[in-house]
Amino acid sequence: MIPTLPATTPAIQRKAALTKLSRHRLLASPAGLAGTLWLAAMITASLTAPWWLPFQTEDQDFTAVLSGPTATHWLGTDELGRDILSRIFASAAETLGTSFIAVVVGVGLGTLLALAAASSQRGEGVISRVTEVMMSLPGTVIILAVIGAVGTNIPLIMAILGVLISAGIYRVMLGQAKSLQNQLYVDAAKVDGLGPLAISARHVLPGLATTIVVQSALIFAVGLLIQAGLAFIGFGPPLPQPSWGGMIQSASQHVYDAPWLMVPTGVVLALTVLSANAIGNALGKGPNDTASHLPSAAIRRKRAGQAVAAAAAAPAVGNPPAAGKLSVRGLSVGVDGGTPLVTDVSFDVEPGIVLGLVGESGCGKTMTALSLMGLLPSGVAVTGGQILWNGKNLAAATDKDMESIRGRDVALISQEPMRALDPMFTVGYQLTSAIRRLRSMGKAAASAEALSLLEKVGIVDAKRILKTYPHQISGGMAQRVAIALALSGRPRLLVADEPTTALDVTVQAEILSLLRSLVKDTGMSVVMVTHDLGVVADICDQVAVMYAGQVVENGATASILDDPRHPYTLALLAADPHANSGHDMPERLATIKGQVPQPKDWPGGCRFAARCQFAGSACLVPVPLLPTGTGVGLVRCVKADELATEGLAWVATDVPSDLSPELGVPAEVPARHRLDIIEKDMA
Amino acid sequence: MSIETPLRSEQETTVQRKPMLEVQDLVVRYGHGRKTAAAPAAVDGVSFTIQSGETVGLVGESGSGKSTIGKAILGLQKISGGSVGFQGEDITHTTSGKRRAIGSELRAVFQDPNSSLNPRKTIGASLAEPLRVRGISAAAARTKAEDMLERVGLPREAVDRYPSQFSGGQRQRISVARALICEPKLVVCDEAVSALDLSTQAQVLNLLADLRDERGLSYLFIAHDISVVQFLAQRVVVLYRGQVMESGPAAAVTENPKHPFTQALVAASPVPRPAEQAERRAVREALGVRTASAVAAGPGGCPFRQRCPLATELCATERPALRRMGEADVACHHA
Amino acid sequence: MAMFVTKRLLMALATVLVVAVLAFLLVHAMPGSPGAVSLGAGASQDAIDQLNQTLGWNDPLLVQFFRWLGEAAQGNFGNSLVDGRSISSDLANRLPVTASLAAGATVLSALFGIVLGVTAAVRGGFLDQLIGGFVGLLVALPAFWIGVIFVYLFAVQSTVFPATGYVPFEVSPRDWAMSLALPVITLAVGGAAFIARQTRASMLEALQQEHIRTLRATATPTWKILYVHALRYASLPIVAGIALQFIGLFGGSVIAEQLFAMPGLGQAVQTSVSTHDAPAVQGVVVIATVVVVAVNLVLELATKFLDPKLRAS
Repeated sequence: MIPTLPATTPAIQRKAALTKLSRHRLLASPAGLAGTLWLAAMITASLTAPWWLPFQTEDQDFTAVLSGPTATHWLGTDELGRDILSRIFASAAETLGTSFIAVVVGVGLGTLLALAAASSQRGEGVISRVTEVMMSLPGTVIILAVIGAVGTNIPLIMAILGVLISAGIYRVMLGQAKSLQNQLYVDAAKVDGLGPLAISARHVLPGLATTIVVQSALIFAVGLLIQAGLAFIGFGPPLPQPSWGGMIQSASQHVYDAPWLMVPTGVVLALTVLSANAIGNALGKGPNDTASHLPSAAIRRKRAGQAVAAAAAAPAVGNPPAAGKLSVRGLSVGVDGGTPLVTDVSFDVEPGIVLGLVGESGCGKTMTALSLMGLLPSGVAVTGGQILWNGKNLAAATDKDMESIRGRDVALISQEPMRALDPMFTVGYQLTSAIRRLRSMGKAAASAEALSLLEKVGIVDAKRILKTYPHQISGGMAQRVAIALALSGRPRLLVADEPTTALDVTVQAEILSLLRSLVKDTGMSVVMVTHDLGVVADICDQVAVMYAGQVVENGATASILDDPRHPYTLALLAADPHANSGHDMPERLATIKGQVPQPKDWPGGCRFAARCQFAGSACLVPVPLLPTGTGVGLVRCVKADELATEGLAWVATDVPSDLSPELGVPAEVPARHRLDIIEKDMA
Repeated sequence: MSIETPLRSEQETTVQRKPMLEVQDLVVRYGHGRKTAAAPAAVDGVSFTIQSGETVGLVGESGSGKSTIGKAILGLQKISGGSVGFQGEDITHTTSGKRRAIGSELRAVFQDPNSSLNPRKTIGASLAEPLRVRGISAAAARTKAEDMLERVGLPREAVDRYPSQFSGGQRQRISVARALICEPKLVVCDEAVSALDLSTQAQVLNLLADLRDERGLSYLFIAHDISVVQFLAQRVVVLYRGQVMESGPAAAVTENPKHPFTQALVAASPVPRPAEQAERRAVREALGVRTASAVAAGPGGCPFRQRCPLATELCATERPALRRMGEADVACHHA
Repeated sequence: MAMFVTKRLLMALATVLVVAVLAFLLVHAMPGSPGAVSLGAGASQDAIDQLNQTLGWNDPLLVQFFRWLGEAAQGNFGNSLVDGRSISSDLANRLPVTASLAAGATVLSALFGIVLGVTAAVRGGFLDQLIGGFVGLLVALPAFWIGVIFVYLFAVQSTVFPATGYVPFEVSPRDWAMSLALPVITLAVGGAAFIARQTRASMLEALQQEHIRTLRATATPTWKILYVHALRYASLPIVAGIALQFIGLFGGSVIAEQLFAMPGLGQAVQTSVSTHDAPAVQGVVVIATVVVVAVNLVLELATKFLDPKLRAS
């Protein structure tokens, strides 16, 4: 049975998408809205000018020469007594219209060039060379030379401006066009037999739409300014025809005796340019500091305040754990807006122990790990619970407190070693400056220590590696360097966030062996985030299985992997092709219907119930994490003991026709950038 | 391994019938113009065949050239040498126009569910594209898309929705639907389940297995994970730096690998059973394979020699040819 | 690296050549023959033809081009049709004016732009919005309008700076600086706003890089993360932005020169275009291109030097 969905026609969807887009970008920002209104008003006013203007452009009022605003002349008059308002709006239509020529030529040509370059490597070489030449030309001088040759033919000059600008547009668009061209759906279309033209038109161009609009708005503004500038230096439309630049020029002659004259035209021109820019900026939102790994001072101040408040609210630390032991109690992490990402997570890590945090993406394991370092992404914060370490509650520590703990007590290695190292500095610089800082060593001692650390993490030609930049070494080597960096402050706890996921299996095995020997030698403990049960089996002493922001099972690795109690753990093992090999490989793997729910869709009861083969009515109430029947480990399932005694297995099912409820409640794309980042971090 | 697929020498099989896919001495170099000739080969003399109804797994680490081979077969990557034959027809240098003709029989499922569907098009439009290109009417294409969605376990109404409304696993099932909508003979699956979580990965793997059995499809299943390959493939080809190290029946290659690299690869793939994993670790450490960050071997000879515990002078000078060892072909002088 | 520099030098040379061809063709498209321009409206057709013949105007276009190019390569752009002056020596006198203007404005806009941009990105919150609004306003105000207002404020209302004119450096360094002040500031306003935007965006992008988290995880002090690591990462696009800015300002000096009566290249373009002084237009276009391309080349090499990936290769 396939569940049905409420019918939605494409038209309705398109309309909804349209309203959503405008609400989202342009009209939501006050500047964008104001810009749109002003431009709309300008265009309307200039097109209807002949019907409402109080004066002809050449009407001279000798009774009011160089006057300020009066009832007759709202914006004053010039040196010949001509009405400023009338002259501004009489010339507006032509000014706006000819600027649009620059937009059409510039953006059109730039886009075509970008599309052509993106679809052919050879084409890109040629086009890029040509545009580089174009961009290094003194554009204004060339335009003036053209004026010398053809006279002040403004539409033609604007078209030439468009050609000159198209090189810049091409630069802006090329990266995006290339990334669209590299999308797998383009490959899929090529497999379908679509030619390069059809691919550019159907799959690349639509993706450039926003950029095209943004660039158009910006180029429109440039066109206005250049046109006014040319008129200002005497290359405007033939006299006596008015133009904005020409009016400012003649006003500048009277700046001594009638400074007001500068105001009306200048303000109208500036506001029009401002509006076009505002529209462009509102549509093409630049980088947002909410995705920053070092939030701005303003955000940090706000957070510090929250941390102090949280510290005041948190209960005093009762029987603090022994030194070197990490104790996480009832930890909750959530988005600032209130959506929880991790709830009530507790675990202990004894010295010298490796704890695995395992689960699928979206289970909150990375958030849990980062909270140990106080390095949660912007917009995400600890909302409750304690992280006890050396008698301190790290959950309520300020950033300043954390600075004395990071690197020295708790260190981090992350998933993508290449991106974790600063590409602009040598390995040696990064390593020695961390050692000098964390161990208060002199320069020479730190260099020697860096060398011995690299040797310790199994790098044979450490001397050479110290002099290299991160891009010059392989991923496996970079992860060794990142581990050396983490070890530079001799930490007692290492937080490893999927440290081998991006590596080849043979390299993964090497890194795991290295970590194992480091734990043995230094006695440090490790919190290892991974989605790979094989990695857990290889290196972890203890494991906490996470699902939808909760720990669902916690205990010794051997007991959990060999004898899982929670249905989720059971299911994960049954779905893992690594659990079987050779002739034992089953005909079909076990699956779990549906997927991990989004934090906002977490049910009140057992969060796994909707996907569980064994769920019953008892699962509709919240389930606590309790000791298992055998007393070994903890499990969050009301049926755990029943399952264990009956020896039930998670069975393979048909291809799931799983689609409600998650299709009935479509998983919306997170509207805010911040949520994207969280998802990325959680993935 | 399927019984109807003889694993004897290639001449014998071609006599019996044309293979579905025949890759001969494939060489791919990146770059264009003069640079191409100087570039090191990303794929260096790879040959294999896929019979009708057979699934061949292509396994290797990053830089092994496995995805490049897939792209070359699909016409997405220029081929520098060798040939690709599809159902007896040479498609080595076929361009987009002619691709259209064979495109309905040779299809692909790609890795990243986030980018394999155009986010600006409805699922229906994406599914219909391959049909529309071949002149099928919009209404017929839509019905077909709906049927196909139903087959991969999604509601018919999904045609009017956008990719962002589906999860990664669902999107990958839609990609499978897109590949299968024009009744192909061979599907190239390039890391088709690598980006998925365990539970959804299993869903897609099962689906691929079901569809194969139902429609007698052939797969070229490309993956870095030998266990995943082993689930689906009857035969496995192991690549290292663009060359075939070992190929043979899946069970033989994974349970009793002959080539030192295959041995390292199998031993390094961890299993979720702590006791067994400890054993595998001991085996791996006893192999004596040198670190992967060792300096890459220069051209000529065996590409694995810098890491290989068995390497001798000979390995630096002479590229080992594939030779039959038990059920598998192995490219090693000393195995 | 050497390969890269050679390639770029060849590119620069090609750019200048392309512009030379363009300039030559444009000038030949100008209305009126050089004889007519030189002799003025009252001249007889015979006299004009005679002069055109002497000037080589009737030779084949290619011959004329190579004759002109050969002379130009030796730094001789011929004589003005209007007043007979040597164009080369005229431009040689004018170049320092425009160069000081453009260089001064570039340095000033880089300085203010980087400070504003970094502050906006690093401090965030209200200050970011304030700077954003201010910068947005500055981008929208035309330079000539700002210039007039500056004249009104600083030269008319208070006579801090001279309103117009240029004093060569050799005559009096102090007066030279004073005479440049207003035009340089006028040009730098828009430039600073542009660079501030570029800097803010680059800094924010730098702070989103994952290595920033590694730096925090190893207890790197905040100031060092910001001003050593992030700024270093952001420096590439910022320097590229400054190079673009110089090109813009070099051209934009036309307006500043007109406004402040500076005897620079811009003024020369404007007058020679108005008077149809063909050889003068050719000369100034070529000289302007050579300067812009040369500075661009230097800044581009600087950018490459900042990027370890390119330096290593």
